[in-house]
Amino acid sequence: MTEVKKAAKKISPSAARTITPRKIRIAALLSVMGPGVIAGLSDDDPAGITTYSVLGAKYGYQMLWVLVISTIALILFQDLGARIGVVTRQGLIGLVRQKYGARSGVLSAVVLILANVGTMTAEFAGIAAAGQLFGYSKYVTVPAAALIVSFLVLKGSFSRVEKVFFVLSAVFFAYIIAGFLAHPDWGKAFHGMVVPTMPFTKDAVFIATATLGTTLAPWGLAFIQSYAVDKRLTRDDLKLLRVDVWTGSLLTGVIGFFVIVTCAATLNRQHITIVNASDAAAALKPLAGTLAKDLFAIGLIGAALLAASILPLSTAYSVSDLTGRPAALDDSPKEAPLFYGTFAAITGLSALLILIPGAPLITILVVSQILNAALLLPLLVYMYGISKDKRLMGEYSATKTMLWIYRVIIAIVFVCVGCMLWFTVH
Amino acid sequence: MKRPPVPVTGINNVAKRIVGRRDSVLARKNIRDSLVSVAGLIGRPVRDIEGKDIGRLVDVVVRHGEETYPPVSGLIVKVGQRKSFINGARISILTKDEIRLSTTKINLEDYQRREGESLLDGDVIDHQIVDVDGLRVVRSSDLYLAPFDKEIRVVGVDISFVSFLRRIFPGAIRRRPTPEHVVDWASVASLADGHGVVRTSNSRAALSQLRPADLADLIEDLAGREQGALIELLDPELAADVLEEMEEEELQGLIRGLTSERSAELLSRMEPDESAEVLRDLDEEHRESILQVMDAVVAKQLRELVAFDETLAGGIMTTHILIVKENDTVAHALKLLVDNRERDISDGVVVVDARGRLVDHIQVVELVAAKAGALLSTLIGPPYPTSINLDTPLDEVVEEFSNNRGSSVIVVDAKNKPVGRILADDLVDALASQVDRRKFSQGSGGLS
Repeated sequence: MTEVKKAAKKISPSAARTITPRKIRIAALLSVMGPGVIAGLSDDDPAGITTYSVLGAKYGYQMLWVLVISTIALILFQDLGARIGVVTRQGLIGLVRQKYGARSGVLSAVVLILANVGTMTAEFAGIAAAGQLFGYSKYVTVPAAALIVSFLVLKGSFSRVEKVFFVLSAVFFAYIIAGFLAHPDWGKAFHGMVVPTMPFTKDAVFIATATLGTTLAPWGLAFIQSYAVDKRLTRDDLKLLRVDVWTGSLLTGVIGFFVIVTCAATLNRQHITIVNASDAAAALKPLAGTLAKDLFAIGLIGAALLAASILPLSTAYSVSDLTGRPAALDDSPKEAPLFYGTFAAITGLSALLILIPGAPLITILVVSQILNAALLLPLLVYMYGISKDKRLMGEYSATKTMLWIYRVIIAIVFVCVGCMLWFTVH
Repeated sequence: MKRPPVPVTGINNVAKRIVGRRDSVLARKNIRDSLVSVAGLIGRPVRDIEGKDIGRLVDVVVRHGEETYPPVSGLIVKVGQRKSFINGARISILTKDEIRLSTTKINLEDYQRREGESLLDGDVIDHQIVDVDGLRVVRSSDLYLAPFDKEIRVVGVDISFVSFLRRIFPGAIRRRPTPEHVVDWASVASLADGHGVVRTSNSRAALSQLRPADLADLIEDLAGREQGALIELLDPELAADVLEEMEEEELQGLIRGLTSERSAELLSRMEPDESAEVLRDLDEEHRESILQVMDAVVAKQLRELVAFDETLAGGIMTTHILIVKENDTVAHALKLLVDNRERDISDGVVVVDARGRLVDHIQVVELVAAKAGALLSTLIGPPYPTSINLDTPLDEVVEEFSNNRGSSVIVVDAKNKPVGRILADDLVDALASQVDRRKFSQGSGGLS
């Protein structure tokens, strides 16, 4: 067997369990869906789609460049995460503890928990919004989703339904078609991608920050690294893993691009501001007509469930890494209280937040991503520090040029978060 | 991800644990009472003999040697903006409340890391260590010093999460020792290394008590750099056994991290067929760099094996066979077997004729039963061994095995000269890797 197939066997989580010899060809196809693609598509979760929709609806093509920068940042840091995982064979939190000591270790774990409670809340907000489009109350849909997801993950049948969620969330590929059907102004779109301008208002800064935070999500960074550690990927597998990471990250950017363009060509032109999910769904009308709402709702549910299945598990793994011995599903709750505690806290807390009567779903979706961006900062700085540590990374240490690029990205996130705080105070 | 903890069974392990407890210096009351937490010391003021602050403690340097409990060889102190090394001989008091030197004069010299030294805060705390008693890889939360045998030494290590969390708090909480969580330094193997490798005698002794399979599991749980460090701690013979127990891909990764010399040393001690399998998957440049520093005879043998396809008999076989001539004596054959008893193949000898062609395989039992002076030719007779060619495909090898119900087949070259043997376990290995490929099987992982 070739090296590529060997690595595909390890990298593809879904192909692994169900494949018999006859189905190898299907396996090869499904193996496209590695951790990078999962992370990428989970970035296009309800929070991502909503943030991109708001960006496109409110500012048209003007701020597409924010997405471009975010996607570049996503590619580079996901790639770095994969590299750190493979080379050091340690999870991000454990490594931060080793390199920076107890306080930094705890800080990064807390940051990850906070950011992920936020994102998980956004996933449930997506479920609630989709439920409302179909006419179901959030008091039914959210608890049901929380239970389903926990059951699937804890009972170990997640890998079987994973593909279903994947296909459901692939509904968002519809934005690519919708984008063309909406006859966008491609010239303006190109201009918006390469010429960085924006109104210096509170709303614009907030949405730019949210775009950064939803694209380059903290959990994705921890996830890709622990995935490499957990699956014991070796340096031989790194090439394939990187292809996967780049594919996934680009996919995030491409879908994001078409969401923004579609919304710019429809909602922005008609001066519709998004206050609820059906406003956002209206962008799909050129494609789906009256079915736009259904299509949008299905996509929301698939993406939300896909992300909601991985997120608490990946967070629990990362946080238990702090103890020096990452726990897993084959440990009992008694053996791994931190693991199951984190899992329960993230799922439970975020479901409860959504159930608060009158919780504004769209606001929650966007604000959670702003929180992501702020919490991203310490993690990026730690990753930067690890990337240049020769003792840890050896020949895989970042080059001088790369370090400069990392610094620029961190500075951009810093400026965004700084401006946002400034606007909040004033 | 994490494997379920291996239950520690067997009278040896239990005995070792009991003995370990009794020997522990932590059991001595005076030591228990004078434990100083290293994590709590870091950042504390360092005073001279008159009680004047001269700086703050940055790290504690210890010297590893043949002693079980490594002594403190010095302190790294931040004086002004500069980090200076203060020799351990100048420490007069070192308790959790006070660090005092025996002089007023200190010459500010920068710390140069020396062979066999490690920094407790920089290299050991929060790094991975091997808990030999519990057979697992853990991170150390804190280390404990105590005066013992005329020096201040590392006597204990704390691997509890509670002690880790204690360290995020300021002041007194951080420094409070929690002796109830401390385990004896002798029951862990630290893999911290500065330049070279720390070869503490206690780690070596403790690790060599473990079964190769357990060690292989531990290694697979370690980070890249630490993997190499642990292998360096083991005797080459044991290390080779451990390598044989490792997963193929893990082993590939490990070999990549070792020097060519060390790889050559270990690979030439492993079963040739297993070494060949490892070498086959390395890139050519790396493979050659290893083969070149190997013993020429072994290298030649391995080169031949590497050349074979791993789905053919030549790629599966082991070349460990003992060849004797028809007109050798039984005594000669027995001596050969005894001389090679280390190498797992002592169930018989392969007999060839004057031109080196395969005649028979004679079991040890037959040799023992025969007279010492008898010629081997007198023992030749049925049942004759099954022989196959170098290029026999795997499925035919399996067929031969099941047809003959034997435990081995002999592999011969085109001239019918024996070149190797396939034992049942070689076949199992070969089949396992085939199945692995077909089924896309995967270890139990917790992440999606």
